Amino acid sequence: MQDDEQPVIMPHSYDGIQEYDQSLPNWWLFTLFASIAFAFVYWLANFTTGTLPDDRVALDAELAALEARQLAAVKDLDEATLWKMSRNPTTLAEGQAVYAGLCFSCHGPKMEGIKGVGFRLNDDLWVHGNTGMAVFRNINEGVVFDGKPTGMAAQKALGAGRVAAVTAYLLSFQQQGRMQAIDRTKEPSQLTP
Amino acid sequence: MSRSPVRESVTTIGRDGTRRFLQPAIVIGAWWRARRLVAWLLIAFFALLPWIEVGGFPAVFLDVEHRRFHLLGATLGLGDVWLLFFVITGWGFLIYATTALLGRIWCGWTCPQTVYLEHVFRVVDRFFEGDHVSRAKLDAEPWSRPAKFLRRGGRALAYLVLCWAVAHIFLAYFISIPGLYPMITAAPQAHPAAFVAMAVATGVLFFNFWWFREQLCLIICPYGRLQSALIDDDSVIVGYDEKRGEPRGKAAPGVVAGDCVDCRRCVQVCPTGIDIRQGLQMECVACTACVDACDDVMTKLKRPAGLVRYASLRELAGGRTRFLRPRTLLYAALLTVGLIVATVSLLRVQPAGFKLSRPPQTELYVVSADSVANVFRAKIQNKDDVERRFFVEAEATGTRLTILNQSAGLIIAPQAEVTLPLTLLVDRRDYRGEFNFTLRLRSDDGKVSVLQKAHFIGPDPRTLAR
Repeated sequence: MQDDEQPVIMPHSYDGIQEYDQSLPNWWLFTLFASIAFAFVYWLANFTTGTLPDDRVALDAELAALEARQLAAVKDLDEATLWKMSRNPTTLAEGQAVYAGLCFSCHGPKMEGIKGVGFRLNDDLWVHGNTGMAVFRNINEGVVFDGKPTGMAAQKALGAGRVAAVTAYLLSFQQQGRMQAIDRTKEPSQLTP
Repeated sequence: MSRSPVRESVTTIGRDGTRRFLQPAIVIGAWWRARRLVAWLLIAFFALLPWIEVGGFPAVFLDVEHRRFHLLGATLGLGDVWLLFFVITGWGFLIYATTALLGRIWCGWTCPQTVYLEHVFRVVDRFFEGDHVSRAKLDAEPWSRPAKFLRRGGRALAYLVLCWAVAHIFLAYFISIPGLYPMITAAPQAHPAAFVAMAVATGVLFFNFWWFREQLCLIICPYGRLQSALIDDDSVIVGYDEKRGEPRGKAAPGVVAGDCVDCRRCVQVCPTGIDIRQGLQMECVACTACVDACDDVMTKLKRPAGLVRYASLRELAGGRTRFLRPRTLLYAALLTVGLIVATVSLLRVQPAGFKLSRPPQTELYVVSADSVANVFRAKIQNKDDVERRFFVEAEATGTRLTILNQSAGLIIAPQAEVTLPLTLLVDRRDYRGEFNFTLRLRSDDGKVSVLQKAHFIGPDPRTLAR
């Protein structure tokens, strides 16, 4: 075993600095070769043959499942159900909580509206559709106003269930069939608080 | 096995890169006894800590699943993770400061690698395979011999059980004992992630203690490599007293010899395979095995102990160790500053979070018939385990600032987060232009008081004049 005690000095010299000719530990080299092999297998599986599920596909599937769950919550929602909900005290309590937590900041604590921010909701004039389902859709998906989207589109923040509840809360101040459509360009004075 | 270690290459790596296994001898001396006691205390501490409850939670419970960290009764949320800065830098700094003073005392006495390897796994080695001589003999034997198979197999089984136990205790820090127990009793497929984590941890530990051992200290751990920067002439290290020991060998008429009899006992006991007589080396984990070995030999020879001992390079050269020097004093000062800042930061952690932003796509300010309004979006997080009623109060100097719809307070469930729009109003007659103000989040039990500074945006007050 005497032969392997003193390492050999490499012939080159840089700035007077020389180095020993030592081998790396084999286990260390193994980690290098193993990661190269892994990279090749991963590249084959992920980018070439498509054996591994694509991250984008997995993400899309999960988003679709989430959307399906949200849609299932409101699957049976129609005009009649919304109006029925608008007379249900439990739903109204939830809707009121949502309104007091979020909507009031633009539409005012008493739904009186805030000029330049949000329409008043305590009258029977409706700009973006005069049915319960239209109001639900608007809150859920948001509306485009003067060419720019507004801050609603609350489905992500609230979930469709709570959007339905807050729609019901708004409808509880209305009478079915008495909501009037209004063209805000023709009658702007009607809308300001 | 009696290869002479050289300074130029690592004893445990052959010229062709193959791994060479050491079978160090055991020497039971005063330092060994002290180290074993410390090791047992540390292992007991590690194993018992998850069982101790402080304030309804385990003393240390890093609940990664719920992103909540319980430390000695304090509960920290993900938002408090920045405090980890103090843990990591403090830990590093403490090790640096200790190294300047006492060398690699961390490695030899408290590092888990040393503690478990020397005081658990090498005990198993000796139980199944005997002392270093019979272990080396067993290494050389072929696997076809049943004795080797049984001894080594028994040892492997014992390793596996121990690693499995350590992995469970380790896992308990992240899921708590009450969380761990049902997982142990349930089928593996009921908690696949935890089972895989436990199995991987067991496997990694087994590999580490069975095969990898000192390679971790020599090649992976950066600490030893930093040694040359962290240690100076006054740091206390495990060193060989060359002045007293050399020249080595047996004294005879006409032959002058130092105290070192070149018995090579210090080399036999070294767990990283170095010869301490070649001076301070990167591989030395300061485990003191060679100190005990040499003291043992010196005592038998009726010579004074301490030929290999804890000493600074200056002391070994004949000088005196200076403990108080600019470096240690500076470290002490910086450590004190760090401890104060960390303590103050920890004490100021609130059981609630309060963040302000302006809602997107809304007007910066609204002027109505009688007031100027700003709308903010407040994110209020109850980080505690109890329900609380929160209030937000506005404080502004010189202006009457009111918050719309904020009288009854907001009840937030434990660990829940609520986004709350805040409409801040200033009476038009009081409005004197933009100003800074403070919002205070308060709880009705007085446990919470978080301040957030904000700016009230508004028009030039002259435009409001009627």
